[in-house]
Amino acid sequence: MTTVSPEDIDRDALKRSGDSIVKRLILPISAALTVIFCLAPILWQLLTSFKVDADIAAIPNVYIPSRYTLDHYRALFERRPFFNYILNSAIVSIASTILALGLGAPAAYALARLKLQGERILLATILLVTLFPPILLFLGLLEVIRYLQLGNNYLALIIPYTAINLPLTILVMRSFFQQLPKDLEDAARVDGYNTGRMLLEIVLPITIPALVTTGILTFISAWNEFIFALTFITREDMKTVPVAGAQLGGASPFEVPYGPIAAATVLGTIPLVLLVLFFQRRIVQGLTAGAVKG
Amino acid sequence: MEILELIRRNLTQLWRRSRWFRSLSLVTAFTLGALLIVLPVRSQPVVLTFLMNAPEVPPFRPIIREFEQKNPGIRINMVEGPNASNLIEDLNTSSFLLGGSPYDLINMDVTWVPKFAAAGWLKDLTGLISQEELSQFLPGDINGSRYQDKLYRLPWRTDAAVLYYRTDLLDRAGLKPPETFADLMQTSKTLQDKKAVQWGYVWQGRQYEGISAMFVEVLQGNGGFWVDPQTKQVGLDQLKAIAALKFLQSTIQQNVSPGGVVNYMEDDARRLFQSGNTAFMRNWPYAWKLLNADDSPVKGKVGIKTMIHAPGLSSASCLGGWGWGIASTSQHPQEAWKAVQFFTSLETQKKLILGTGYLPSRRALYDDRDLLAKYDFFPLVLKALETPALRPPIAQYAQASDILQRYLSAALSGRINAEDAMQSAAKETRTLLGA
Amino acid sequence: MEDVIRQRERRTGWALTIPALLMLALVFVYPIVRAFWQSFFTQNLGTQLQSEFSGFANLARMAQDGRFWQSLGNSAVFTVFSVLLEFILGLGIALVLNQTFKGRGIVRTIAILPWALPTALIALAWTWIFNDQYGVVNDILLRLGIIQTGINWLGNPTLAMVSVIVADVWKTTPFISILLLAGLQSIPSDLYEAQAIDGATPWQSFQQITLPLLLPQIVIALLFRFAQAFGIFDLIAVMTGGGPGGATETVSLYIYATIMRYLDFGYGAALVTVTFLLLVLIVAIASYFLNRSRATSGGV
Repeated sequence: MTTVSPEDIDRDALKRSGDSIVKRLILPISAALTVIFCLAPILWQLLTSFKVDADIAAIPNVYIPSRYTLDHYRALFERRPFFNYILNSAIVSIASTILALGLGAPAAYALARLKLQGERILLATILLVTLFPPILLFLGLLEVIRYLQLGNNYLALIIPYTAINLPLTILVMRSFFQQLPKDLEDAARVDGYNTGRMLLEIVLPITIPALVTTGILTFISAWNEFIFALTFITREDMKTVPVAGAQLGGASPFEVPYGPIAAATVLGTIPLVLLVLFFQRRIVQGLTAGAVKG
Repeated sequence: MEILELIRRNLTQLWRRSRWFRSLSLVTAFTLGALLIVLPVRSQPVVLTFLMNAPEVPPFRPIIREFEQKNPGIRINMVEGPNASNLIEDLNTSSFLLGGSPYDLINMDVTWVPKFAAAGWLKDLTGLISQEELSQFLPGDINGSRYQDKLYRLPWRTDAAVLYYRTDLLDRAGLKPPETFADLMQTSKTLQDKKAVQWGYVWQGRQYEGISAMFVEVLQGNGGFWVDPQTKQVGLDQLKAIAALKFLQSTIQQNVSPGGVVNYMEDDARRLFQSGNTAFMRNWPYAWKLLNADDSPVKGKVGIKTMIHAPGLSSASCLGGWGWGIASTSQHPQEAWKAVQFFTSLETQKKLILGTGYLPSRRALYDDRDLLAKYDFFPLVLKALETPALRPPIAQYAQASDILQRYLSAALSGRINAEDAMQSAAKETRTLLGA
Repeated sequence: MEDVIRQRERRTGWALTIPALLMLALVFVYPIVRAFWQSFFTQNLGTQLQSEFSGFANLARMAQDGRFWQSLGNSAVFTVFSVLLEFILGLGIALVLNQTFKGRGIVRTIAILPWALPTALIALAWTWIFNDQYGVVNDILLRLGIIQTGINWLGNPTLAMVSVIVADVWKTTPFISILLLAGLQSIPSDLYEAQAIDGATPWQSFQQITLPLLLPQIVIALLFRFAQAFGIFDLIAVMTGGGPGGATETVSLYIYATIMRYLDFGYGAALVTVTFLLLVLIVAIASYFLNRSRATSGGV
């Protein structure tokens, strides 16, 4: 035990030096590469949105412009009702977030705590439903919306967005309720609370952090949705940001208003950038709970 | 409460006793009532809404202002849409599919007419316009606005493809502009052999609507047909149609056209031709203004003629252009018709064209002095318009065109041979039309 | 007594669940069931948009429809390549984010940013980046002397597919890294210490501990990404519209065109039905393997 073979020492030293190489060199480089990979396209678009037209269409590209302009942002508000677009996106996203939580959380509670028949089948169906691409629902929804005369109505977007986000809400909230100690509810029952009162007064307050987490996910998904917003809304002043942004362009290369498009990209993503900055941890929690624990 | 009762009693007495009071109050009531009905109508004029392709919005602004001045009861709400016409088509389509389109008027490309009409989205305009009035428009344009013998659109600008050629090169070589497919190949090769020019002929070969528009000319010029709109017969696998495709293939194989032509749209062809490297080009009249711009290397060296064709047959020129339809769901069809009449009138078209250089849809404007002074190529285009090639006016046109585009593109880029391509295209088109 | 409580609890349970289930039924179940039914009818411009029973005519047409098979192939190519690249990159990023280093919080925040942004707007940014004239990709390649003339990225069939895959990889790699990071954090660190004492190299411990224990997360992440990538619409609709020449047209884009451009509702319904069945089949196969991998990893 006291004799240490030279090979052992060597191997230890090697391992340590290998570790330090990883720590000192590879790690910072890969972290830096991650940051560049994730940020570069966004920053390029941000830069484009402030460039004057001559610099946008300059060959070779201008990386450090000498002139900056707010014209492209101004154009968005003067030629298009851009404020309306943002307002529409906000209304639709907030409403569907609230609805998804309002419908999803009780269902999640029931699936976590109250014994229902066919619970497993229900869960499997809900999980399967998260895998449907929206295009499969599109034809049927078009009919529903025409029948209910909801075209160019916020409800035409709020209803599908709520439903699309319900499965994730149910899965995340269910895993949250399962982690919750049951003593609290039992105590409430002993005190003579009925289920409804117990849910509202005892369970709801401690659920708020989980609600915020799932709410953010729903909000992001609703803000970003494209195909329904593209089809179920045709009035210019009712459009949401992604669709309005995409329709600024699309013509031959010479007529595409690159500056305003870049400005629209920046304005349309700001709310989400802020959300990510403030709630990064909650987003990660929600995603992992939804995907892994379902 | 007592005061009210007092007033009521006094008024009742007055009503009973004074005839003057009676008539005065009746008149007042009537006037107030009339005002209640008239005022909202006066303060809320009829609003006509339509979606406009973004590039057309600025030239239309003064036209709309003028219309509103002449028609004080009508306001026009022009909504600026995207640039690309297929996006405009999709937006109009969605509006109708959702029920209750917010648009009263529809600015339509000629190829949308059958689809929108068959879907029941357009008001039939047949009874609204006299034969005499209609005869002042170009016949091809009016035919393109019809679906199953009913008129659904009134054109405000037309478009017809033509053959551009380099007058200077032909003069120097002592050659005449080509009439037939063989002429074009021969002349091109002669000029290419003399190193007068690198390429003979450029056209649009990318897989998009433009390739269908281009092919329908070669097809008709070769005596073939695509789809017979009456019998739904498909002619794509007939020998004449296959030969038409083979002609296009031969331009590439024999180096008359650059290989890249299979990826060209209108402006790609225009740029190559404008750089001076090409003898002939198939394109729309929009190129004329650009080719003769001051910085253009081919300025003043360009001629226009009708498309090439097979010997013994006449030339065919694909018809494009835009016109106005009225939505069947519009609440104000009368006012909408007024606007359509104004937008398509001689005076309005002339004003628009002076600013934009579009082609008019009214025959008389091709003799208009002011326009001729600015656009001296009008008579040449008019000749092309006499023998229009219509893309088949069938309801499923968009789908039929996509089928043709796929197979033309595959054959031109050498992935399959001409016979297989046209047979497959014909087969799919027949399935589509249920024949 | 017990039964009464049970019963009341059950009733409350259903009362809480039914609103959500109704919503799901309206938006998910009705459209799919309706598409099944409608796929036996012809309803298009040829029938004046009236529904006419036509049996299996739509399915027969689909078998002959080269465009459908091409779009299915495009979807498959897009899905396989983008998910594969996202997985490799996502795993790498997850491993980096799992280390302790200064500023890790900021890097983590930045690393989930692309996932949260609207795809349609991000697609506009990428369209600009891949622009043949003024795009920054061409500019960098030209400056580095790798190419002599600008490449027409979105105009060439193969390169257009490459471009949309690159944009998708950028957009959704964070999703995979988040899921894998969560998995990495649940692996107890004493396992690695034990391995290190045994003298294993980092690569060996990655192979012997990380990968097997991460397998459930990997399968789930891949399953989710598979479904999303297979149904991709907004990114491609904005960047190429399915072009050039249908080279990037996926099933979603074809279905959309069939319904919205051709107004061929019966055939569109048939396309929806077949795509749905294909998806269910693939998901069923995947979850079979998922269950098996769970069973084996539970045994370790």
